[in-house]
Amino acid sequence: MKSQAALKINSTPPKVLTVAVAGNPNSGKSTLINAIAGTRLQVGNWAGVTVEKKEALVEYRGRQIRLVDLPGTYSLSPYTQEEIIARDYLIQARPDVIINVVDATNLERNLYLTVQLLELGIPVVAAVNIYDEAEQKGYRIDTGLIGQTLGIKAVPTVATRKSGLDELLDAVLEVGDDPAAHRPRQLNYGTDIEAAAGRVEQRLRELRPTAADNYPAKWLALKLMEGDRDVLGELDLPDHGAFREVLEHLKRAHGEDLEALMADARYAQAAGLTREVLKKPEVSRVELTEKIDRIALNRFLGIPIFLAAMWLVFKLTFDVSSPFSDWLDKTINGPGKRLIEALMGLVHAPDWLVSLATDGVVGGTGFVLIFVPVIFAMMFFLTFLEASGYMARAAFVMDRAMHAMGLHGKSFIPMLLGFGCNVPAIYATRTLENPRDKALTALLIPLMSCGARLPVYVVFVGAFFAAYSGTVIWSLYVMGLVMAVLMGILFKKTIFRGEYPLFIMELPPYRLPGMRSLMIHTWEKGKHFLIKAGTYIFAVSVLTWFLLNLPWGVESKRDSYMGQMGAVVAPALQPLGFGTWEAAASLITGIIAKEIVVGTMGEIYIPKAKDEPQEEPPSLGQDLKEIVVSFGSAAKEAAENIISFGSGKFSTEEKEKSKPLKSLLHKSLTPLSAYAFMAFVLLYMPCMVVAVAMRHEFGSWKWFGVTFAYQMTLAWLVALIIYQGGKLLGLG
Amino acid sequence: MNLAKLQPGQSGRITQIGALGPLKRRLMDMGVLVGEVVKVEKVAPLGDPIEITVKAYKLSLRKREAEGILVEVLA
Repeated sequence: MKSQAALKINSTPPKVLTVAVAGNPNSGKSTLINAIAGTRLQVGNWAGVTVEKKEALVEYRGRQIRLVDLPGTYSLSPYTQEEIIARDYLIQARPDVIINVVDATNLERNLYLTVQLLELGIPVVAAVNIYDEAEQKGYRIDTGLIGQTLGIKAVPTVATRKSGLDELLDAVLEVGDDPAAHRPRQLNYGTDIEAAAGRVEQRLRELRPTAADNYPAKWLALKLMEGDRDVLGELDLPDHGAFREVLEHLKRAHGEDLEALMADARYAQAAGLTREVLKKPEVSRVELTEKIDRIALNRFLGIPIFLAAMWLVFKLTFDVSSPFSDWLDKTINGPGKRLIEALMGLVHAPDWLVSLATDGVVGGTGFVLIFVPVIFAMMFFLTFLEASGYMARAAFVMDRAMHAMGLHGKSFIPMLLGFGCNVPAIYATRTLENPRDKALTALLIPLMSCGARLPVYVVFVGAFFAAYSGTVIWSLYVMGLVMAVLMGILFKKTIFRGEYPLFIMELPPYRLPGMRSLMIHTWEKGKHFLIKAGTYIFAVSVLTWFLLNLPWGVESKRDSYMGQMGAVVAPALQPLGFGTWEAAASLITGIIAKEIVVGTMGEIYIPKAKDEPQEEPPSLGQDLKEIVVSFGSAAKEAAENIISFGSGKFSTEEKEKSKPLKSLLHKSLTPLSAYAFMAFVLLYMPCMVVAVAMRHEFGSWKWFGVTFAYQMTLAWLVALIIYQGGKLLGLG
Repeated sequence: MNLAKLQPGQSGRITQIGALGPLKRRLMDMGVLVGEVVKVEKVAPLGDPIEITVKAYKLSLRKREAEGILVEVLA
C-alpha cells in the first residue's frame, strides 16, 4: 500500500472517509477487503444479531479510510437479516462512499444490486472484480461505460492478485472528497413508474413533512410503492393505503403487484446496461465448474464424494490440531505451573494462593489455549469450503436428509464437527444464514457425542461391558443421533413452528481460494475467539477452582462447595440408579469438560496415597528444552496424521490409570445403572465452553438456556427409562 | 406445468410466480422473473432440491419452492 503522498497544506485536517463495502455473496468481497486491510481487519458482530461485522481503519496516501464490510446481499429488500443490516447501515450511517463489489463474470445479477444502491444517492465506486476470470472467458467489459452511464466510478479489480486496488482507492478518495460532483445518476424506470413515484413523493411531503430530512425522497417513494414494511413502519404508516389513489393508475396499467413491477424495472436496467457494456464470445466453452459438477453432483457419486470430503475435513480439523493442543496442555500444566510455583515459592506465598495461581489461573489459561488450535483449524477448513464453492454443493447434496429434521443442507457440517468437539461446531453454525436454521442446528449439536465423552465411556465400558465394548460405545453414538432427529422434529413443531426458511441458494463457480485471504480470515476469527470467549472460559475455570477448594482447608472433596452441591443433587438421580454424591459431584464437574467426570471420580473414589514417592521436578533448563522438543514432535505428529489414514488412538496409559477406579465402580453401580449413567453423560448439559460459545455466537444466553433446559430433561428421562425399564425387564 | 416437474436438461419460460411475500421477493431478487427462460440442470442425489440456470448463473431451490413457479416448456 502506498502511503506517500504530496500533502497539501489545508486549513482543516482531511476527514476520515467512511466507506461501506457492499456486494453479492461470492463476488470476492471478503477477498477484496482482506487485500486492502490485511490484518487490520477487526471481526465482530452487528449489534444484536449474529451476523459477522468486519471493519478496518486503513491509511492510503496519507488519508485515513474506515472500511465497513456489509453482509453479502443480492438485494436491499426488507426480508433477510443481511439485507436489513446492509440497508439500515447505509440509510442511517450514511457512509461517504459505497464500494460496490461486482462479479465481472455475472454482471447482470450483480448490477441489480448496484441499481438499488444508486437509489440511495450516496457516491458509489464499483469494483468490477474477478476481472481476470471474465477475461479468460473471453468477456470484454467496458468499465468506463458502466461509470459513465451510472454516474459513478467503475474500476476493474482482481482482489486475489491485489490488482486494481490503488486505482479503486484513488477513485474512493476522489469521489469522497467531492461528493456533490459524484452523486450517482438516478435511473429512469419508465414513464409510468417515474410519474407514480413523483406523486408518491408529493403525497408523502403532505403526510410526513420531515421524512425526507432523514432519507432520500425518491428512495422513500420507491420503497413505499413496493410496500416495504420497514419503511412503512419507520414512517408510522399502517400500509400503503395512504397512497392508494396516486398508485391507482399504475396498478390499472401493470397489475396489483407493484413489488414485482419494481423488481422487473430494476432488472430491466441491469439487463440493458449489461447488453451495452459486455461483449461475450460467440461460442462459450464448457466451464470447469460444469465439468466438476457432473461428477460432484452426480446421482450416484454425489453422496460418496460428499462423505469422503466430509471425512477429510473432519480428519484434518481434529488430527492436525490435536497434537498442538496436547503440546499446549502439557507445556502449561507441566513447566508452566512449575515456573509459577517456583516464583511463588520465592516470595513465600501461602499454599492457597499457590493453588489458586497454578490450578485456577494457569490451569484456566491453559484450558482456553487448548481450544485455540482446533478453532483455528476449523475456521481454516470451513473458510476453504465456503470460498472454494463446495459448501453450497454440500448443502445441495444433503438438504433432503437434513430438511427432514427441520434443518438446512448446510447444517450437516456443524453437526459432523460436533463429533470431534461441540465448541468449533457451534462456531461453524455461522455458515448458516438464516437465524432459525442456525439456532436449531446449535440446539442439536450437543447431542453429537464429542471426543471428550469418549474417555468416560471407555472407563465404564471397560468396567462393565468389556466383552462388547465396541457395540456399547457405538450404541451411545447412535443414541445421540436418534435423539437429535427426534428433538429436531419436536423443535420444528414447537419453538420453530410456522417458520419456514427458504432454500434458495446460488451454486457459485468453483474457485481456488487465495492462501493469504484464508490465513487472514482464520486469524481474525481465531483472535476473536481468544479474546471474547477466552475471557469467559477463564472466569468460569477460576470459579470452578473456588467451588472445588472452598471452604479452604477441606480434606475431602465431599466437604467442598462442589461436593455439597453433589449431595444436594444426588436424590434427584436416585431413580436413575446412580443417586450417590460421588456420581452427582462427578457430573457437576463434567460441566467444565465432560472427560473430567472420570478424573473427578478417580479423585473422589481413590484416596490420595500420602507416601507416594515424589519425583524430582525437572529444572528450568530441562523444561525449556522439553517444550521445544515436544513442539517439534507435535508438528511431526500433525504432519503424520495428515498422511496416515487411521484416525483416533487410544492411549493404553489411560486404561492402566483407570484400573483401580473400575473395581471401585463395581461397588456402587450395576451394568444397568452404568449404562444409564453413560446415557446421562451423553445427553446432559453441554460443557461450559459450549455454553460460552453459544453465548458468544448468538449474543445472548437465550439459546444456551433452551439447550440446558431440554438436555437436562432429556438426559433425566432417558436415563430413567433405561434404568427403570431395565429393572422391569429383569436386567438390573 | 411447474418448474418442479421439468426434467434435467429441459428449459422453460416463466409465466407466473405463484409464491407470496418473502419467497416471491427472494426469487425475483435472484432473477427468477416472469418471462425469464430457465433450464433445469440437475436434481440432487436424494431427489430434492433441484439446480437451475437463470440469468447465466446456477441457482438451487427446493421442489416445494419450484412448484409455485409456472412455466411453459421450451424444447
